[in-house]
Amino acid sequence: MLFLIELIESVRSFVATGGNVLYFVAFALLLMWILMIERYWFLSANYPQLRDDIIARWEAREDTTSWYAHRIRDTWISEATELLERNMITIKTLVAMCPLIGLLGTVTGMISVFETMAQQGTGNPRLMAAGISMATIPTMAGMVAALSGVFFSSRLDAKVKLAKAKLVDSLPHH
Amino acid sequence: MKKTINFVLLAASMTLGLSTAANANELDKLLQQVKNDRISQAKLDKKREAEFTSARADKQALLNKAKAELKAQQERNKRLTKEYADNEITLAQKEVELDTAQGTLGEMFGVSRAAAATAYGQIVTSIVSAEYPGRGEKLNEIANSKKIPELEQLEELWIALQTEMTQSGQVSQFNVEVTKLDGSKSTEQVTRIGTFNLVSANGFLNYNDEVGQVQPLAKQPAGYISDTASKFFGETSGYHPVYIDPSRGAILALETRKKTLMEFYHEGKEVGYGITVLLIIGMLIALERMIVLGAVSAKMKAQEKNLDQPNENNPLGRLLKVYHDNKGADSETLELKLDEAILRETPKVDRGINLIKMFAAIAPLMGLLGTVIGMIMTFQTITLFGTGDPKIMAGNISLALVTTALGLIAALPLILVHSIVAGRSKSVLHKLDEQSAGLIAAIAEKESN
Repeated sequence: MLFLIELIESVRSFVATGGNVLYFVAFALLLMWILMIERYWFLSANYPQLRDDIIARWEAREDTTSWYAHRIRDTWISEATELLERNMITIKTLVAMCPLIGLLGTVTGMISVFETMAQQGTGNPRLMAAGISMATIPTMAGMVAALSGVFFSSRLDAKVKLAKAKLVDSLPHH
Repeated sequence: MKKTINFVLLAASMTLGLSTAANANELDKLLQQVKNDRISQAKLDKKREAEFTSARADKQALLNKAKAELKAQQERNKRLTKEYADNEITLAQKEVELDTAQGTLGEMFGVSRAAAATAYGQIVTSIVSAEYPGRGEKLNEIANSKKIPELEQLEELWIALQTEMTQSGQVSQFNVEVTKLDGSKSTEQVTRIGTFNLVSANGFLNYNDEVGQVQPLAKQPAGYISDTASKFFGETSGYHPVYIDPSRGAILALETRKKTLMEFYHEGKEVGYGITVLLIIGMLIALERMIVLGAVSAKMKAQEKNLDQPNENNPLGRLLKVYHDNKGADSETLELKLDEAILRETPKVDRGINLIKMFAAIAPLMGLLGTVIGMIMTFQTITLFGTGDPKIMAGNISLALVTTALGLIAALPLILVHSIVAGRSKSVLHKLDEQSAGLIAAIAEKESN
């Protein structure tokens, strides 16, 4: 319990030095990871069954070469692809957004630095340091969030593409 | 001399007037007159001489008198000087006597005077003085008086210090005259929190010790701070959180100079407003798209369950209708007809989505525009006023930075919304483009069997 309190306290002090923009970074990061974990879950738990189901249905068909058969095959592939690719756009967008949110933090931090300068002058660098940490910490946080997403989202993307190609290959015209 | 001139003039006039009639008689008369005049002149001189001689005796008397007076004064001076010197000695003796008589008490009076001076500074500026006015004057009397403080005054000092101490630990509510910013005065109920803050229903108050008035702040600090104050004022019992200013007003004064979010927003000026307009339009388009696409996909789902009766109110229904109209045609003709129908439907689904993407791209660019404008203005200021005062430059720099921030703030939700809307429209298009043909093929197969 004490460990949790210490953890929360360290997060709080991190947010206090980094400014409120960190909440947006945290929100984007959380959303990104929820969506990515959901995708991994779908790929490993739900998708194989769906794939086997489609393959079995295709194997059960007598006619696999007519125009109708082609259209029906396309439809099944399209439906499976849609399920496979669901939320992938949002994940990629979130990955791209993280550095932008960090940049927003940089700008708001610089605004607060200049605000301090306008009020207190440049005499005391300590007063400006708060604004500077508010400028740099969100940038770093945004970068880290984006980096954590870049690797896994591209892995996910490759997995989805592979799964799709395999599905197409396992529905031969016989 | 004058007389001589007169005579000459007389003689001349006579010579002129009576030039021809000049005779011995006239001249004799003149001679006689001159002689007479000389006699009277001599008499007069004698008389004046006599007068002067008598006056000289008087003056001598006056001189003697003045000399006597000078001597008297000099004597007095000597006497007084001696007296003064004697008094000085007596004074020094008396002072020594006084010191011996005071003994160690003398130090105490010094201490009390110093304590009064210190307490005066504290108590006059303290907000407790708003509740108990007039404590400062008595302390000032003690601190500045040359005399030995009296017992009553010492008691005043003690009471003032004790009051300050006791009140600094108390929260009390009292009525006081509040001088508004426009100069009008009104009596209001005010809560004092220790020696830290004065709080009323409208937020924090300020105690101006120079004029001894309670004044509202020029601007209340940010809402979440001043709200706790007015809430605290309304409470009567229990524990309640409130922001207090341990620096006794300095932090509050700084806080009032901080800009609010709204003020920051307006620093963006025209560029900032432009970005806001972009954001609003983009969001409205996205909202309209979401509603329309949601309705379309709901109708398409309903249509999927009822493939036999094409409904013209949705794209899938219209595609099915094409099939129903061309049941007899071969598969190639049917595909062409379907492609044509899909081509007709696509723009309706796609509409506006690229616009959102464009807005999301334009917003940061506009922010950049604001940055550049702000920097141009900053350098113009530097050209005019030099770099001496950072405060002069700060206004334009904040334009530069605020527009950048606004551009990003507008772009972020637009990007997110675009990805959501694009996902939805993509799924609708997939359904039309790739899956409708399959549905139709399934129907055709079923019918042919």
